Amino acid sequence: MRVVIAEDSVLLREGLARVLGESGFEVVAQVGDATELRRAVRRTKPDVAIVDVRMPPTQTDEGAQAAKEIRAEHPEVAVLVLSNVVEARVALELFSERPEGFGYLLKDRVLEIDDFLESVRRVAGGGTAIDPDVVIQLVGRRRAHDPLEELTPREREVLGLMAEGRSNRGICEKLFVSPKTVETHVNSIFLKLGLALAPDDHRRVLAVLAFLRS
Amino acid sequence: MRGSGFALATPGSVCDDPRVSVPGWIVDTPTKLVRLAIVLAGLGLGVIAYRVQIDNLNILGPFTTPTRAWAIVTVAWAFLFAGLVAWTRRPGNFVGPLMLAAGFALLLRQLRYSHDPLLFTVFFALGELAYALVGHSVLAYPSGRVTDRAERALVKAGYATVLIVPLVTLFFYDATKPLLFFDPTPRSSQLLVSGSAQMVELLQKGLVIWLYGVLATLFIVLILRRLVSATPRARRILAPLLLAAVAIALRAVFECVFTFVDRPFAYDYVFWWQIVAFIALPLALMAGLLRARLAQATVGDLVLELEMTEPQGIRDALARALGDPTLEVAFWLPERREFADAAGRPVELPEGGGRAVTKLDQDGEPVAALIHDPSLLDEPELVRAAGAAARLALQNARLQAEMRAQLQKVQESRGRIVAAADDERRRIERDLHDGAQQRLVALALQLRIAQRRPGEHADPEVDRLLAAAVDELQAAVNELRELARGVHPAILTEEGLAAALDSLASRSPLPVSLEVLDARLPPEVEATAYFVACEALANVVKHAEASKATISAWRQNGSLMIEVEDDGIGGARTEDGSGLRGLTDRVEALGGRLTIQSPVGGGTRIVGEIPCAS
Repeated sequence: MRVVIAEDSVLLREGLARVLGESGFEVVAQVGDATELRRAVRRTKPDVAIVDVRMPPTQTDEGAQAAKEIRAEHPEVAVLVLSNVVEARVALELFSERPEGFGYLLKDRVLEIDDFLESVRRVAGGGTAIDPDVVIQLVGRRRAHDPLEELTPREREVLGLMAEGRSNRGICEKLFVSPKTVETHVNSIFLKLGLALAPDDHRRVLAVLAFLRS
Repeated sequence: MRGSGFALATPGSVCDDPRVSVPGWIVDTPTKLVRLAIVLAGLGLGVIAYRVQIDNLNILGPFTTPTRAWAIVTVAWAFLFAGLVAWTRRPGNFVGPLMLAAGFALLLRQLRYSHDPLLFTVFFALGELAYALVGHSVLAYPSGRVTDRAERALVKAGYATVLIVPLVTLFFYDATKPLLFFDPTPRSSQLLVSGSAQMVELLQKGLVIWLYGVLATLFIVLILRRLVSATPRARRILAPLLLAAVAIALRAVFECVFTFVDRPFAYDYVFWWQIVAFIALPLALMAGLLRARLAQATVGDLVLELEMTEPQGIRDALARALGDPTLEVAFWLPERREFADAAGRPVELPEGGGRAVTKLDQDGEPVAALIHDPSLLDEPELVRAAGAAARLALQNARLQAEMRAQLQKVQESRGRIVAAADDERRRIERDLHDGAQQRLVALALQLRIAQRRPGEHADPEVDRLLAAAVDELQAAVNELRELARGVHPAILTEEGLAAALDSLASRSPLPVSLEVLDARLPPEVEATAYFVACEALANVVKHAEASKATISAWRQNGSLMIEVEDDGIGGARTEDGSGLRGLTDRVEALGGRLTIQSPVGGGTRIVGEIPCAS
């Protein structure tokens, strides 16, 4: 799997490249700013681009802007955005209508290396990886006549994991429960929220995120 | 007014001599003793005047009856009464004393009918002075001064006529023929030089024609001219003059009819109209003067009114007090060295052209100028008093404006300080995330990589140490993130108050319900509201022993209201924590208010009111 890394902190960039390289990824380019990132993506056509939100020269949202462009111009390139701080609005804007092949994680998630690699693979495979903190903000949002109130605490947990982009198997591993139990929870959640059951994981994430954003 | 440092300047074009020399005793209100003396003298002379007429003229029957004699005395008394009242209520105005003089002259005039040679001579010579005084009173109304050149000439001509012609008549009167207007009994002139009945008749008839024909006509013409050329305001005040014109016209007709028609058919009729007109005249003049005096009384109200008036309202209040709706106020701008209206537009002071200007000075420096109806110059006391009141109000207004400007500056600078502090907080937040936090993450990743290196460090001790170091760094990153959020939550900048309070509530160990408006507001307003909620909620968690809290934010009357309420033990006070004190400062810096209700045992309610324009 071919990866481009855009990160202005050299230490972190090298670390990431090393971790990914040692785990069977092919790091085809390492860049330090958004312009180079665009060029590298155009040139190398990677499977996934890992992008820091804030990069030189202004250190505001160059990375986010570049990620948005890449998703529009190269739909086949998956994008995983890394940020030092949770900005749910930025995240929502980025995956807007299309959470497939997209991830948004806090930077320190890379320290849980296996989890992080799983996320990269998922995103590269067309899946979704949304940071739990973003999901907390989305789920925690107040709504008029909030249907989330009807969910049990366990169901909320499952909802959160679904929103992060995890598959049933991923949820089983995270919660140490049987696939059957997860299945039951998922059905119950979809019923309570009035959502149509989706045939695959991607559609399911889409439905859940669409609900949380509404 | 003089010597108080306040000067009133009147333009010379309207008034020949603004510092008219009024005798000092006229400026003061007559004392009780003086007034008593005048009343007694008036009553006594009235009785004498009546007796003189009855005792010396009664033989002519229709010309002199007791009723008519009393009527003539009543006219004089009307002048005395009006003159006394006017003098008392309008000291300093010359019209009152003039009317008093006219009243006495009208009474003394009757003494010329006496058969006593000395009395006859003296009062025949001075008798007509009464009518010159009446004319003078009318022309001096309302200011007390005769300012028009033609009018002055007329007054002088009148005095000259009544003093010279009768005197000359006495030089020729030798009692060979009865005098006109007199009973046939001969009287002896003490001033006889050479007797000539023809000359006497000529002079007497000439006097009637000159005084009641020519001068009276001129008098009426001048009055009509004054009325026609007057501004509407002045016309209201000059209304009594119309009565004067009628009175003089009647008098003139009466004298002519009496002199040149033997048995006047309308004599009776004209006599009584003349009496009515001459009684009404002094009363009308007095009423006119008292009305102006009433206007002065409203100056007292003006002072009170102006105290509570904005600068723009000063003009209206002054216009009301002076009865001049055309009044304009020009404010002196010391820094621009020019006059300007309330809106700050430059004002050119008019010179003549139907407008008069009164400048208000303070210690030689102009304060303002009143541009008004020229008729107000006839009431200088009124303008002076109103001007003094306005000057105080204007100074007051100027001081207030200066103070407001200062306050505004302070308020603005407080606001700027808050905004600058917010900017600084945002910068620090960003630096923490992108600097220290990022380095720690990179460092932790390096350790993680080292930890995962297979083979080389098979030592489980090293592995454990590395894992602990990574955990420690992860904890440090989390703390740093919390710290940065406390300095300035990124979510507030990015997503606004509602999202930031959502996030605040979701991290709180206490159940917090939210009722927050979903709109973006100016950053300093959002930040202030957020910090109020943040600090208040922290206090709830630390001190209130509450089971739940509510955060509400809504917009009300152009302000953002932020309220934090709990069901805890209450008893919180601003002095207790510098946190609340600091919040109060912050809210007030934006021109808002922070109120804390915290009855012991009754929960705590903190409400911030933050003005926001948008």
